[in-house]
Amino acid sequence: MHINRRDFFKEAAGATSLLAFGSSVPAFLARSAAAMEPGQPSREPVLVVIQLSGGNDGLNTVVPYQDDAYHRSRPTLRIGSEQVLKLDSALGLHPAMPAFRKLYQEGRLSIIQGVGYPRSSRDHDAAMEDWHTGVLREGVPPGARSGWLGRAIDAACDPGKTDLRGVFVGEIKAPFSVHTERVVVPSIKSLEEWLPTGAAWSDSILPHGSGLASSSGVPHLLAAVRSATANARLVQPRLVLANQHLRNQKSAAYPPFPLAQNLAMVAQLIRSDLGIRIYFVEFGGGGIGGFDTHANQAANHGALLRELAESTSAFVDDLNHDRLLDSVLVMTFSEFGRTLTESGRRGTNHGAAAPIFMVGGRVKGGLWGAHPSLTDLDADAPKFHTDFRRVYATVLERWLNLKSEKILPPGFSPLDGVLA
Amino acid sequence: MKPDLNDPAWAWAPFQPDAARPWDLRLAAHLYRRAAFGGNWPELQRALSEGPQATVDRIVRPTPEAADFNRLYDDYENAAAASAGYGSQAWWLRRMIESPQPLQEQMTLFWHSYFGISNVHVKNNASLCRHTHVLRQRGMGSFEALLDAVLAQPAVWICLGAGADGKRRVSDNFARIVMEQYALGPGRCSDSDVHEGTRALSGWIVTQGELRFVPGEYDATPKKILGQEGDFDRKALVRILANHPATGHRLAQKLVRWFISDTTKPSDSLLAPLAKQLTGDGSMAKGVEMLLRSNLFFSAEAYRQKVRSPVELALGIIRPLEGRTGTVRLAADLAGLGQELYEPPTIQGWAGGLAWINPLTTLGRAKLAEALLAESGAYEGKLDPAAVAKRHGRATTDGGRQFLVELYLQGDLEAEALGALSAGASATGSVNTRAANPRQIAAGLASLPEFQLA
Amino acid sequence: MLLLVVAFSIHGEDLPPVSQWIPADAPIMVEVSEPMALLGPLLSPEFGKSVTTELENGKANLKLQEFQGVVAAVELQLGTNWRTALSRLAGKGVSFCVDPSGATLLAVDGEDEKLLSKLNDIIWQFASSGADQQNQPETAASPNYRGVKTWKLGTNEVHALLGSRLVVGNRTSFLNKVLDLRAEAGGKTLASSALFKAAREAVGKEAVASVFLNLQTLRAAPGLKKALEEDGNPVTALLLSDTKAALRSASWFALGVYVSDDKLILKTYTDGAAPESAKWSSFSTPPEASADLLPPLKVPGTIASLSLYRDLHSFYAAKNTLFPERTSGLIFFENMMGIFFSGIDLTEGVLSEVRPDVRVVVAKQQYDPAVGTPATQIPAFAAVLRLKDSQRFGETVEEAWQKAIGLANFTRGQQALPGLIIDKANQDGVKYTFSYYRPPADKSPGTIDARYNYRPSLARPGDCVILSSTDALARDLIDALKKAPTAQAKASSAVNSLMEIEGSALSAILEANREPMVRKNMVDKGDSREKAESDIQMLLVALGHLDHATLTLRRDASRPQAQLEIRFK
Repeated sequence: MHINRRDFFKEAAGATSLLAFGSSVPAFLARSAAAMEPGQPSREPVLVVIQLSGGNDGLNTVVPYQDDAYHRSRPTLRIGSEQVLKLDSALGLHPAMPAFRKLYQEGRLSIIQGVGYPRSSRDHDAAMEDWHTGVLREGVPPGARSGWLGRAIDAACDPGKTDLRGVFVGEIKAPFSVHTERVVVPSIKSLEEWLPTGAAWSDSILPHGSGLASSSGVPHLLAAVRSATANARLVQPRLVLANQHLRNQKSAAYPPFPLAQNLAMVAQLIRSDLGIRIYFVEFGGGGIGGFDTHANQAANHGALLRELAESTSAFVDDLNHDRLLDSVLVMTFSEFGRTLTESGRRGTNHGAAAPIFMVGGRVKGGLWGAHPSLTDLDADAPKFHTDFRRVYATVLERWLNLKSEKILPPGFSPLDGVLA
Repeated sequence: MKPDLNDPAWAWAPFQPDAARPWDLRLAAHLYRRAAFGGNWPELQRALSEGPQATVDRIVRPTPEAADFNRLYDDYENAAAASAGYGSQAWWLRRMIESPQPLQEQMTLFWHSYFGISNVHVKNNASLCRHTHVLRQRGMGSFEALLDAVLAQPAVWICLGAGADGKRRVSDNFARIVMEQYALGPGRCSDSDVHEGTRALSGWIVTQGELRFVPGEYDATPKKILGQEGDFDRKALVRILANHPATGHRLAQKLVRWFISDTTKPSDSLLAPLAKQLTGDGSMAKGVEMLLRSNLFFSAEAYRQKVRSPVELALGIIRPLEGRTGTVRLAADLAGLGQELYEPPTIQGWAGGLAWINPLTTLGRAKLAEALLAESGAYEGKLDPAAVAKRHGRATTDGGRQFLVELYLQGDLEAEALGALSAGASATGSVNTRAANPRQIAAGLASLPEFQLA
Repeated sequence: MLLLVVAFSIHGEDLPPVSQWIPADAPIMVEVSEPMALLGPLLSPEFGKSVTTELENGKANLKLQEFQGVVAAVELQLGTNWRTALSRLAGKGVSFCVDPSGATLLAVDGEDEKLLSKLNDIIWQFASSGADQQNQPETAASPNYRGVKTWKLGTNEVHALLGSRLVVGNRTSFLNKVLDLRAEAGGKTLASSALFKAAREAVGKEAVASVFLNLQTLRAAPGLKKALEEDGNPVTALLLSDTKAALRSASWFALGVYVSDDKLILKTYTDGAAPESAKWSSFSTPPEASADLLPPLKVPGTIASLSLYRDLHSFYAAKNTLFPERTSGLIFFENMMGIFFSGIDLTEGVLSEVRPDVRVVVAKQQYDPAVGTPATQIPAFAAVLRLKDSQRFGETVEEAWQKAIGLANFTRGQQALPGLIIDKANQDGVKYTFSYYRPPADKSPGTIDARYNYRPSLARPGDCVILSSTDALARDLIDALKKAPTAQAKASSAVNSLMEIEGSALSAILEANREPMVRKNMVDKGDSREKAESDIQMLLVALGHLDHATLTLRRDASRPQAQLEIRFK
C-alpha cells in the first residue's frame, strides 16, 4: 500500500503544533512541515549502500557472453547468449535479474565496471576491511580506524547538534563501514524496539522551564537535550506510522526476502523524512557471506541475484510512487570479484575486480568503463581500472555534497558520467 | 578567598557549604552521580547528615570488602569471558551495580575509554577482560604503574597494530599513540622523538595471544627522547612519559572532562594544581579525591553539566532503587544505544557529551527506562519503585511520587511537569494499570531531558 | 509409585460436560477428567519426602516455602488435609478454556458442594483483601445473571457456583456467554462443533486429560504462525518440517494424556494434512513395506539416544523448496563439503551413498584425571550412519573427515589457538581415527578450557560410520554395534523418529554443570546467588523424579502423531 506523502504527514503531526516549540525545532523538520504539498520531494540527497558479503562473482552478474575466454574457462557455470539478458552486443545480465534489466532500460541503473584497488586482498576479512575503511590499513593502527561512511556521518553531524544522519538497517552487527569516531549510528532490526509505548513518555516532555535555569538562562547543555527530546517526540509518531505501514504492506509490494524487508524499512524511514542521509544494508547474512560461492555456484548465485534484483526493484517502485526516487541513490559493493576459471567444485574462487551497481533517479544509466580483459588477468581474476575510492569520492562529493578530503585518502577524484 | 572559578586556589579548595551554596540533596546526589553512578536514599540521607567532605572520605576510602568482592567478580568475569556473548560484560555491569566501591568502577570505565582498546580488533573476550581487570587494579595508583601495566597487555599491542603483517618491530604510529594519545597529548612529540620511542618499544612480540620479550629483537643503542638520552627500554619510556608535565596536564584535562563537565574548557592555569597532583608519584586517587572535594566540583559549572552515557543512564536508574536486574540483556541494550562495553569506537574512546544524543537514541533511552521499570518483560520487574518508597516511609500515592522526584531529580523539575506526568500516566494508562502507577512515574522521570544529564 | 485412584463414588448432581456450555468458537480447551490420576506422582509419599528433605536442607526454595504456606492456610480454612481437600474439590474434573478474545475460564468439578462454596468464599476474601491492600477499592459486586449468583471483583475476576461446579473467569462477558449456553439448549456449543467432536473421538475415553486447539483460528496468532514456519535451520527442517507442514494445514490439534501402570503417556492427534505437505515429508516417510526403525543405541552413561528414518539424499535434493533463502550458512556448508569431498556433488555423490538410517547418541563423558575437567561439561555426542557401499565409499569419508580436522586446525592456527593431533587406534578389531588437544602446559589445579570436551573421532565398523565428539563414545558405540548389529525394533508401524532419554544420566550432567548454571541464572536474571541456587535446585529436584522418557513420531496416513511416554521414579 503506498501512502500519499501529504496524508502521511497529516497523520503523523496529529494535534501537535510544531510552532509551539519555536526555535528548538531543527531545520529539517520545520521545512518538511511547511512543504506539505503533495509530491514535493525532500531536497536532501540520500545514499543507500547495499553490501554484498562474500565476494560477488562479477563475471556471472554482468556477463561477457560473446567472449571465448569466458566460455572456455567456465564449462559448467557459463551463461550463453540464449539465457543472458542482453544489455548490449557484448554484455548481458544474469538470467535471474530481469528486474535489473528493466531498471537498465528505464535508465535508472548505472553499472561501473572494473572496480577494485591495487594489490587487492583476496581474504574476506582483510578485503572487507579495505572496502569499509577506504584506507587500506597501511599506516593506520586498528584502534584508530573508522569506516568511510562513519567518517561521512561524523562530518555530516555538527558538533553541538543532535541530528541523526546515518543508520544501519539489519539483524547482524553493523558492518565497519558505518563505524564512527564520534556520533552513534543506530542499528535498526525493527522499529518497535525503538519506540517507547508508555504513556509516561509522551506526556512528560513539556516545553516549560525547570528548576535548573541559572541566572544566565537555561544552561546550554540542558537546552540542547531539551531540544533533542522535543525532536524525538516529533519523530516518534512518524516512526509509529512508518511501522504501521510496514506491517500493513500488501505482500505484492515487496518480495518476502529479508533484503526486501530491510529495504522496505529504509523506504519508510526515507518517507518519514527524519534527516537521515546514509542508510546501510547488508545482504548475504554476515559472517563470511552468502556470495562466497566456491561450490555449486549456479543455483545459489542465481537465487541471490534474483533476491537482489527484485528487492531493489521493489524499493525503487516504492520510492517512485512518492516521487522520492530522485533524491535517493543506491549503491552495491562487494569485497572482491571472483576468478575467471571454475574451482572444480562448480564454483569460483576469490578474485579481484568486479562491477558496482548504482540505482536511482539521477544516475546517468548505462555501462561506465570498459569490461576488463579476460586474457590479461591478475592471477586468474579480472584487473581493475577504477579504484573504489573514486567511486566513494563520486558519491561523497557529487551526491552527498560532502568534502571527501577529510574522509578519503588524497588523490581520488570523483568519476564523471555516473550521475546526471 | 572570594569565590572565583578563574582562581585556581579557590577552584581546588575543599568545598565548604554556605548560605549561597548550601549542602543539600541536590549536591549530595550530584556527588553520588558523578562518583558512584547514583546514590540510593539511605546514602543520600547519610551524606546530608555527614557533610560533603566526610562523604567524599567515605566514597574515596577503599572499603575492606572490596578486595574479596573484586576477587569474586574477577573470577565470574574470567569464567564468562571463555564463551562467546555478553557474559563477561554482563558481569561487569553487575559489578558496577553491586560494588562496595563504585568510584573504582567509575575509574575503570574512565580508563577503558581513555585507552580505547576494542575487542573489534583484538577479537578475544578473555584478553579484553584481563585488560579491564588491570585497569581496575592499577587505575587508582600512579599513572606510571598503570601505563606500565597497560603496555604489558597483548590486547593493547594488537589494537595498536603490533603483530600485524609479520613485522617484528612496531611502527611509528604505534609509538605516537603511546606517547601522544596516551601521555603527552597531540602534537607534543617530534618525529624523531616518536621514532626513538619505537626503538625503545622494540623486542616485544605478540605470539599466541601473549606478549613476549625477545632479547634478540631489542634495539639496545642509546635513544634520545624528549630531551633525555639513555638506553631506554619500555619501562624507561613509560617513566619518561609519566613524569613529563604535559602528561599530568593531559590527565587533568581528561579527568575534568569526565568528572566536572562536558562543556567547560579549563585554562592551563586552572588545571595546573590538578596536573601537579597527577604527575610523577602522585596517585590518581589523590587527584580524583582533590577533584571531588573541590569548589569547582560543587559549583554550577559542574552541576548537571554532563550528558549521561548509556551505562550511567542505566545505572542511574538502577542504583537509586536499591535493586539489581539481569545484565546480559542490559549489555545488549546499552550497545544499541551506542556504548558497547569492551568496544569503545577508537583509541580516542567514547566522545561523550551530545554525541550520545540523536532522535533515535533519545527514544531508545526512554524505551530502556520503560523496560527497566516495567512490571514484566525483559527485566522482569525486578526494580520496584513503590516498594522502595514504602521502605523509606512514603507509602501513599502522592508521597511515593514526591519521593521518586527527590530520589531521581532532587526537585530539578517544575511542579507543572510533575502534575502533567502523573495525569498523563493515569489518563492514558492501559486497562490493567492503576492510576499514577509508580513504575510509570519513575520511567517518565527517567525520560525527562533533565535526567539525561548527570 | 503412582497413586492408583479408584474413581470416587457416585456422581453428585448430574453435571453435563463443560464443553456443552462453552461457545463453539473457543480455540483452546483443556479438560482434566481425572485430576487425581494425573497428579498421582506428585501425591506420592516419595515426592512428599523429597520436598521436605529439600526444605530441611536449608537450600529451601523460597517459592516452595511460600507454596507450603498457602497450602497450610487453605488446609486450615477448609478444615481438612490437602490431599482430601484436593480430591473433594476437584476430583471430578478441572477444565480450562480460552475464548477468541483471550478471556479465560476455569471450571472445577468437585465432590462436595459445601466445600466448593467454602473455597469460593476463601478466594473471594483473598481477592477483596488484596484489592484493599493496594489501595484500590474495586467494585466488588454480586450481580445475578440468568438466575445465577455471580461474584465480580473489578474488571478481571468473576466467579459463579453452579451446583458442584465452580466457575472462575477473567471476563464477565465470557462467563455470561457460558451461562447463556447453560440456560438455553441448542446453542452453538463447543461440544457440538465438528472439529471438537473429531478431536474428542481421536483422543478417546481413556484419557485422564485432553487439550484441544482449533488451528483454523489459532493459526493467525503471530507466535504460532512464526513457530510453524520454516526458519531455514536445516536441523529443525530435517527433524520437524513434516510435522510443521501438517500443522500448517490441519484444522484441529488434540493432545491426550493417559495413565498406564507407572507411565504417563501423551499422544497428539490432528486431522489430515493437505496434499502439498507431502513435499515436506517425503524424506522422513519410510516406504510402505520397509523394515522398522533400527533400535536406538545404548552405551554406558547414555543421556539421550535417537533413531531416525531420514533420507538425507532426498532431503538435500529438495533444498530449493526447503530453503528458498540462500543463507550464508548454507553457502558455507556447501563450500566446505565441496572441499572435504574434493568436488563430488553433495546431493548425488555423497548423500546418495548414505542409507536413511540415522542414529544419534548423547552420553555423559568421563574426563581423564591426568588432563583435567572443564568448567562447563559438555556431554559426548555421536551420529551413526550406514553406508550403502562401505568398501567403495568408506575411504572417501575418512579423507573428508581428516580434511575437516585439518581445516579446523588451520583456522585455529590463524587465530593463535592450539590445534588437534590426529591418531589412530584399534578397538576390538576395528581401526578408528581420533584427535585430541595436547594437555595444558601448566598442571595447576582447577578447571581447564572448554575445548577439552572434544576429541573428534571417526570409526567405520562394518558398513556403519560413527562420527563422534569423543573417542571414548566411539569405542562404546563400536562395542554396542557389535552386540546388536541390525536387530529390528519392536513393531510400531510407520514410526520415523524415536528418542529415548535416561533421567538419571540427564540429572547427572546437569548436576555436573550446577555452578555454570547458577552463574548464568544470576547474570541473566539479576538474581542473588541464594535465589539462583534455589531455582537450580528446584529444577534438579524436579528432574530427579524422571526415570525414563520415550518420544516417537510417526505418520498415520498423512497425519503426523507424536507420543511421549514418561516413567517416574
